[in-house]
Amino acid sequence: MSPESVLCWSEDPDLAGQLVRLARSVASGPEDRVFAASFDPPSDDGSRRIAEAGAHVLIRPNPAGPASTDPHVVASELRALVDTSHVTLVLLGSTKRGREIAGRLAGLLDAPAETGVARVHLDAGAVVVEREMLSGNALAQETLIARPAVVAIMPDVSASSPPPTVPVVQQVPSTSPAPLSERLELRPKPSGGVRLESAERIVTIGRGLQKKDDLVLIEALATALGASVGCTRPLAAEAGWLSDDHWIGLTGHRVKPRLYIAIGVSGAVQHLVGMRDSQTVVAINKDPNAPIFGQADYRVTGDLYAVVPALTKALDAK
Amino acid sequence: MAAPQLRILVAVKHGVDVGLARADRTTGVVALDTAPRKTSDFDRNAVEEAVRIRERLGGRVTAISVGSASAREALRDAVAIGADDAILVTDPAVPVFDTRAVSRVLAAVSRTLGGFDLFLLGEGSSDHFAGLVGPRVAGELGVADVAYVRKLTVDATGVVAEKDLERELEVVRASFPVIVTVGQEINTPRLPTFMATLKASKKEIRQLSVAEIGLDAAHLDPTVRIDRAAVPATTRKQVTITGNTPDEVARTLVDALRTEGALP
Ligand SMILES: Cc1cc2nc3c(=O)[nH]c(=O)nc-3n(C[C@H](O)[C@H](O)[C@H](O)COP(=O)(O)OP(=O)(O)OC[C@H]3O[C@@H](n4cnc5c(N)ncnc54)[C@H](O)[C@@H]3O)c2cc1C
Ligand SMILES: Nc1ncnc2c1ncn2[C@@H]1O[C@H](COP(=O)(O)O)[C@@H](O)[C@H]1O
Repeated sequence: MSPESVLCWSEDPDLAGQLVRLARSVASGPEDRVFAASFDPPSDDGSRRIAEAGAHVLIRPNPAGPASTDPHVVASELRALVDTSHVTLVLLGSTKRGREIAGRLAGLLDAPAETGVARVHLDAGAVVVEREMLSGNALAQETLIARPAVVAIMPDVSASSPPPTVPVVQQVPSTSPAPLSERLELRPKPSGGVRLESAERIVTIGRGLQKKDDLVLIEALATALGASVGCTRPLAAEAGWLSDDHWIGLTGHRVKPRLYIAIGVSGAVQHLVGMRDSQTVVAINKDPNAPIFGQADYRVTGDLYAVVPALTKALDAK
Repeated sequence: MAAPQLRILVAVKHGVDVGLARADRTTGVVALDTAPRKTSDFDRNAVEEAVRIRERLGGRVTAISVGSASAREALRDAVAIGADDAILVTDPAVPVFDTRAVSRVLAAVSRTLGGFDLFLLGEGSSDHFAGLVGPRVAGELGVADVAYVRKLTVDATGVVAEKDLERELEVVRASFPVIVTVGQEINTPRLPTFMATLKASKKEIRQLSVAEIGLDAAHLDPTVRIDRAAVPATTRKQVTITGNTPDEVARTLVDALRTEGALP
């Protein structure tokens, strides 16, 4: 089998480092090579992380220029790197930007592609991936037959730390394509200041809550637990009671806390996919047949307006 | 100058109905080929957005689906919401979970139709949820793309679109032709009236084979194979906490969580 040549890129420096570690463990043959692309200045944090993560080669298009976020520009630059370095596998981050670039790049390369990938390995020259399907209801194993293949990896996929390297820096001429879109504005989303991905404990509230003011009950419980507050889609997208960074599920955030308490949450497939990796799950719901109970370690059937204050009190008492 | 008549394409997938798909009891495996199907969620939003744009600016909305004969259902949904034309590309040679094949077909249809100003797709299909097809078609055709759009303004020459990223909102401008992918938050699709549904059921659906759009089977060779799709087994303890009063329930729960180490 010919050696693998893996190209890693993500706009998120953390994720870029994770991709390089993953690439080193997937392509661990003596002749395999891991390339990381960076469009940022050399002093940048991203370059340092890529080096620490163990890339063999750090590729920089020259001139670096202002890093454009136009998908056409990014995908065209990556496409050129795939050609010049004879890349067999491209690893990108499965963020929204990453998936968009993955699609565009796969279109340019006429290559097989997959996103939302949680595991990847090589099997007799084919790329085998595991990812969610059916809005998170099922896990699929898929085989990407042709090469090069484009694979977008979920954040926080664990990989062993390979021995450190001093990456060779390779400057390649930039293809400098003209952008097809122009950024007019970039602004942060309204935020409640939470980062649920790294929360130890989460209290999630759903449509069982009758009005926005009642959030104080949930916040009091969260404080007593040292937990962050999460919510289902309707509370963020429809009611607007909480900002998007609280929203858990298929189209929200994916969480894996030590403790997850779902309150007044029915347990729709699209919600469950966001919390399935939680260690201990408690569900509080007045409907004994709510699907969330099928996914719970501890089930409390009851009215949240009675149970939640009692729980807060019990925690404060001890 | 844009064409005097806005040419809008919209892609609709007749995907696996995620709510109804059942797994084999012992193996957990979901038979994707025979599972019940329905119109992919975000594609309804794409059709609604297309129809609203036409209602404001004029033009024609053409819905396209790639799939088996049952995909006519998705096209009828699109027509009921307000699409003017419906095209079905049906050919057993198209592996519908391979975004390469589907994208090539959509790109080829658009060429056959003489291009477009605006091509709307879902940002992810409910069953596959890859988020690949829209940007992929854009890459193949070399046109602009804007994905994850929550707000779309169209004028005579192009679009201004607000992208919803994980932690930021990005507003971009792109000229026609442009491909835009949308999610649930962009609009609320109208519920078609009884009359609209009835009319849609009689609407002629233009059927094209891959040969008629200039592709041959080799262009569509599968490059991705789904080896297995299965519902993961649940391993939750499923302990029911009971008590005579909410306070008793709460104390029992707190004790259980402490014992298990879930609380400090
Ligand atoms: C493509 C797509 C993507 C989606 N993405 C997401 C996503 O990312 N995240 C997400 O959460 N959803 C998502 N959804 C929506 C999802 O399908 C559900 O509609 C949603 O999760 C339901 O939210 P809920 O449980 O808060 O509300 P409901 O389903 O209305 O459930 C409310 C629950 O509260 C209980 N309840 C009511 N009153 C009380 C009380 N006093 N005490 C105790 N319990 C009470 C009820 O018994 C019920 O079980 C998506 C849907 C689609 C189609
Ligand atoms: N078979 C198909 N027929 C028509 N449109 C499709 C098909 N598959 C995917 N699409 C479009 O591409 C979008 C994204 O799909 P995906 O890349 O599978 O997540 C969908 O929301 C549809 O708009």
